[in-house]
Amino acid sequence: MSSKKDQVEAIIFGALEALNAERAPDEQLAISADTRLFGPDAVLDSLSLVSVMVDVETMASDEFGRAISLTDDRAMSQTPVPFTSVRALSAYIEELLGE
Amino acid sequence: MRATLEGEFVRLRPLEVTDAEMTLGWRTSQRAAHLNAGSQTLDEQARWIASRPESEYNFVIELRDGRPVGMVSVTGLDERHGTCEPGRFLIGDEAAVRGTPAAVESMKLIYELVFERLGLRRIHGTIVSENTLMIKWQKFLGMREEGRMRQHFFVNGRYQDCVIFGMLADEFRRDALPRMKALIAAGRAVRTTAPDE
Repeated sequence: MSSKKDQVEAIIFGALEALNAERAPDEQLAISADTRLFGPDAVLDSLSLVSVMVDVETMASDEFGRAISLTDDRAMSQTPVPFTSVRALSAYIEELLGE
Repeated sequence: MRATLEGEFVRLRPLEVTDAEMTLGWRTSQRAAHLNAGSQTLDEQARWIASRPESEYNFVIELRDGRPVGMVSVTGLDERHGTCEPGRFLIGDEAAVRGTPAAVESMKLIYELVFERLGLRRIHGTIVSENTLMIKWQKFLGMREEGRMRQHFFVNGRYQDCVIFGMLADEFRRDALPRMKALIAAGRAVRTTAPDE
């Protein structure tokens, strides 16, 4: 049985794979826990970042049976910003699910 | 001459005929596959830019260091009804804007132009149904899906639905603007290099 951390990470990977499905072969994202999503050395522009966050919200709600919001003021105003990397986003979602 | 719109990460400056080669490259790239077909030659693109009516606002999106990265427009401006259609939004140089809120700030500048400076009360637009990236983006920015015209567009070799979106001025101020400001603030928080002013 996979841990919640693994489940959350799999959801984020799934959202990034969905994004890859819409991108050209030479624009494919390298996906790992260390993938940078926002800020210096990030692989996404803000348009793609929004797409990933919206997909993660939907998939996490389906998986865990409760709504989470990554696009509200709380998420956006966290310090440090919770969507700088897959790892940071995963940790933030785990925190939300633990509340 | 249209004014330049100044933001923290980007500025929107008027589109010029000398931008024809650059914008043609963006419009004919894979990233523009979901948009309606436009000019196919440099001459066509230059003539298209030169023929833009005074009623339209057509901008090139530039980073604060002057690098052009995309384009966006406001068309269909109707002062009687207080409406217009923001569109032709395209990030042509995605690599240059990775990790930054350039795209969201560009749209914030456009929405502030139409709602605050021009005093319009409603914006609307259409998106090809398979352009899911843009549909999610517009919903995040506060646009609401208002309808759908079935098999209305012929894009990418097949008929696709036309999804109709709209947003009212008070929805922009209440829902969209705080979200845009928050994402821009997040971009500020993760930035390591200061803006050029």
